[in-house]
Order: sequence, then structure tokens, then C-alpha cells
Amino acid sequence: MFEPHARDRLAFSEVHPINPLGIPRWFRGILVLAIIYLFLVGVSSLESGIKVMGADTQERLFSSVSNPIVGLFIGVVGTVLVQSSSASTSLIVGLVASGALGLDQAVPMIMGANIGTTVTNTLVSLGHVRQSQEFRRALSAATVHDFFNLMAVTILLPFELLTGRISWLASRTAEILTGSGGSEWKSPIKAWVKHPVGWLKDGLKQASLEDTSLGISMVVIGIIVVVVSLIAVTKNMKALIAERLEASMNRVLGRGGGLVAMVIGMLITISVQSSSITTSILIPMAAAGVISLRNIYPVTLGANVGTTITALLAALAASGSDALTIALVHTWFNVLGIVVLYGIPFLRPLPIRCAELLAELAVRRRSLAVGWVVSVFVIIPLLVIAIFR
Amino acid sequence: MVLSFFKKGESPLDRISHETVLMLGDARHSFDLASTALLAGADASAVSSDIRATDDRINAAEQRLRSELVVHIAVNGGDDIGVVMGYTLLLKKIERIGDQAKNILDLAEDGISLSGAPDIEEFLTRRQTISQMYVDAADILVSLDVDSARQFLDRSMEMNRECEQKIHDYMRSDEPGHWAVPRAVLHRYWKRIVANLAGIVTSAIEPIQSLDYTDNGATDIVDD
Repeated sequence: MFEPHARDRLAFSEVHPINPLGIPRWFRGILVLAIIYLFLVGVSSLESGIKVMGADTQERLFSSVSNPIVGLFIGVVGTVLVQSSSASTSLIVGLVASGALGLDQAVPMIMGANIGTTVTNTLVSLGHVRQSQEFRRALSAATVHDFFNLMAVTILLPFELLTGRISWLASRTAEILTGSGGSEWKSPIKAWVKHPVGWLKDGLKQASLEDTSLGISMVVIGIIVVVVSLIAVTKNMKALIAERLEASMNRVLGRGGGLVAMVIGMLITISVQSSSITTSILIPMAAAGVISLRNIYPVTLGANVGTTITALLAALAASGSDALTIALVHTWFNVLGIVVLYGIPFLRPLPIRCAELLAELAVRRRSLAVGWVVSVFVIIPLLVIAIFR
Repeated sequence: MVLSFFKKGESPLDRISHETVLMLGDARHSFDLASTALLAGADASAVSSDIRATDDRINAAEQRLRSELVVHIAVNGGDDIGVVMGYTLLLKKIERIGDQAKNILDLAEDGISLSGAPDIEEFLTRRQTISQMYVDAADILVSLDVDSARQFLDRSMEMNRECEQKIHDYMRSDEPGHWAVPRAVLHRYWKRIVANLAGIVTSAIEPIQSLDYTDNGATDIVDD
């Protein structure tokens, strides 16, 4: 029999708002623009700091990355450390803009950043380790991204080293976009951010910092500003577009995978400026069994392309066309990865099969999953860097 | 489809709420059809396909909405976990009500017809009351009005007491089994339907941990 409760609580009306701080949408929008501006200032500060350090210091710092394998793994480790390829690729753009890093040195680092960024959702999948079936689905959903990016690098890095066609493609695209033939291109955004960077430099000089110490301070401040502002942009954009993000994910569930899912993955990632957000959202959905690995796969690929928007944005605050070129290398690398690995029918299921196989083995021996994360993202990169530098 | 990413639409939880109301509408449709077959002498085979198609639609909607609730938690984190769990229970109750309409249809398909029976008016009145309760439950889901919910729960308690009494009377009736048993079974189904409708309304006004339980810890809805 019914005995209605004395409590007078409305369960459904207790829905927590998606915007818990009650920040109005228009204000959050303005906040995002302000943080993006701060991000651009950070990239510009990094570039200026490296320039201030002088050629000798630059040479000492970056001589080891002339080996493309070392560069690749520095890209992996650097991205694992900041847990964001958007941050690491933006920093690479800043380094290229400063002239400290050549395009040929930066290309493997960009590819490494693509591998490093996949660690986040793989770590998220480890949270499901207690339930075998959930864990199998979650780990395969996470590592399909790992395998795709590893395979893309395995194919496209040698291709780039042998032919230079990816950087050539990026360079031609940069020329078309800037309407100029090379380094004389001046980004209009650069002019907007140069004053805050000048103020920072003057402030540090007044604190008696000069040359290398001044350069290092500007670089450190630049890195902190880039990383923090990207975290802030991601958080605010996620709050701004949470409902659209949810509706888009529901559309992927309703309509399945394919190109539409890929475009949705790209749009979500462009909006939140983080592929890790997009791919990590998929993990609990995969674990619960509401989305299949085959439908996750194209969303992940779209996220790969979408995340390149941040480096392109960073290039707007940097000097010269090389910065834009390396940002476009990131975009082209991911687009070509899709063309090769998703476009060629017999290669398409390869990352899925590898992810399923790893998940199957990891369900039987859980330590294998931890071993995968530690070895692929930490031990192997550090060993290779130590041996080849 | 991709362009819809840029369009502002109904919030996902509002959409789920809207869909649950539609599911309740479908459940009422099934109930009315099944009752018509049993009480008004309509051809059971004629309404069977409609009821089963409606039930399939309810089941598909339940599965789809459960997936959407998982997506909601994946995107927004645990803030809405109480609401999401409440919806999960609510969807299951609607799905059960859909099944119970099929149970009533099964009686009609077994050749039972109460059309023209001397006590038909009593059945028709009770059926009409229950049918209206579907509408009232849906209204409460939309309005989340606590007072209306309390009134609904009082009415449902009263209805369940009546059904229990009728079952008790039929079980002890001197009438032959073919007369008493269908009546007792129908009242049993009605009791379960009303209990589930009450459960739906309770889902909207009670915190998740106390759904289906009274303050002293006993279960408050007998719907087995």
C-alpha cells in the first residue's frame, strides 16, 4: 500500500543546473574569448622568450631533436606530461615561430603529440577495471585511438622523412591561406598580442632579469599561460556546449558511425579545444555498452582532426609562415591518416581488431592494461630518448 | 544532421521527460485497446497487432532513453545522477505497464469477454478511472506538482484497496470459476497497473533512495 513520504522533496526538480556557478552564457562566451586571447599571449611570450635566450642556448636545448625518432618520442612524453596535444602542439608552434625548432625537427614531435594525447582516455578506461565486460568495452574503445595514431605514425612518419610531402602539402596550404610566398607573412593577431608580451618583458627586465634568465622566465610563463588557458577554455566551452554535445552524441547513437560521426567528433573537439574531452566522454558510454567500438572509431578520428584547430589558432599569434606550416602539418597528418587507414577498406578494421585483441588479453590479465599504458607512453619513449639523443 | 550541431534545441533532460510522457500515452493507448477487447467485445485479433506494435514502440523508446541517460552522465558527470536513476526506474515502470496491457489482451485472446455481463458498468467505470490516471500521471510528470502528486497517490491507494477487496470477494465467491477467475485476474492486472502508475508519480516527487519504500523501510508499492 502507498504510504506517501513525509519528506517534501522534488527529485526531478532537484536537477542540478549544467551551469552550477550560474554564470550567464553570454558572460561565459566573453570569458572564453578573453581566455583565448590569454592563450595567444602565452604562445607569443614563449616565442619571444626563446628568441631572447640567444642562438647558443637554443642550440644546446634543441640539438637532440634533430634525430626524428627522438623528436617523435619527445612529442609523446611532452604531451603525456601536459595531458593535452592542444597544449603541446601549441608550444611546438611557438618554438617553430621563434626559429629554435626547424620544421623538419618539429614534424616528428607533432606526430608524437598525436600519440601522447591518447593516454588520457586510456587512463579513463582503467577506471572500469573491476567489471570484466565493462573493462573490455572501455579499454577497446580507448585503445582504438592509440592503435590508429600509432599506425598512422608508422606509415606517415617514414613517408614524410623519405618524401617530405606532408610538410610540402602544409607549406603550399599555408601559402594559399596567407596569400604570400614565405616568411614575410605577418599575422594580424600577432599585433594584438605583442603589447602584453612587451609589458611582461619590461616587467621582468625591471626585476633585473636579462638574456637567458629573462628568456627562460618568459618561456616558463608562456608555457604556464598556454596550459592553464587551454584548461580554462576547455572547461568553459564544455559548459557552454554541453547540451549540444549531448544531443550530438545521441545522434551518433541513433545513426551509427561513418562520416557523420567523424564530422560530429571533429565539431565537438573544435568546440571544446580538446580531443581528450571528446574521446574520454565516449569511454563510459562504451563501458555501458550504449555505443559500439565501430561507432566510436570514426568519432575518434574526427576528434584527431578537430584538435588541430588549437595549433592553427596558436599560429595566428606567431611570427612567420613556418608556424602556420607546422600547425597545418598537424592537420594534414591527421587527414592523411584517415585517408590511408580509414579510406583503404582492408586497413580500416585494423585498429579495431588490435584494440579488441588487447582488451581481450587485458581482461584475462589486468596488469597488461597498465603495462600497455606505462610502456607505450612512458618507458619506451624515455628509453628511446635516452639511447638516441 | 551535422548542421543541427549549431542549432539550439530542447535540453536533453527535457527531451527525455517529453519522451516519457509520450511513452505513457502509448501505454494508455494499449490499455484502452486491450480493455475494449475484453469489456466491449471488440475483436481481440483486430487490436492485437496494434497493441503489440505499441508495446514494441514502448520497449524501443525505453532502450533508446536508457542509452541517452548514459550519454547524459558521460557528458555532464555525476551532477544529475539522482535524476538519471529516477528516470531509469520510471522507464521500467512504464515498460511494465505496457506489458500489463498485453496481459489484459491475453485474457480477451483466451476467449474471455465481459461485454454484456450484469456487472459491466462497474468494470467500465473502473477502466475509465484508470485510463484517466494515465493522463493525470503524465500531467504530474510535466508539472512536478507535489500537491497533485499527493492527491494522485491517495486516489491510487484507494483504487488499490478497492481492487484488493474485489479480488478477495471473487476468491470467496460461490460463482463458478469461469465467472470469478477472469474478474479476479483482471482486478489483479488493474492493481498492478495502478501501482506502477503510482510508482511513476512517486519517482517524480521522492528522492531516489526512498523510491518504492515507506519511511519505516517497508516497500510501499505492492506491484508483484
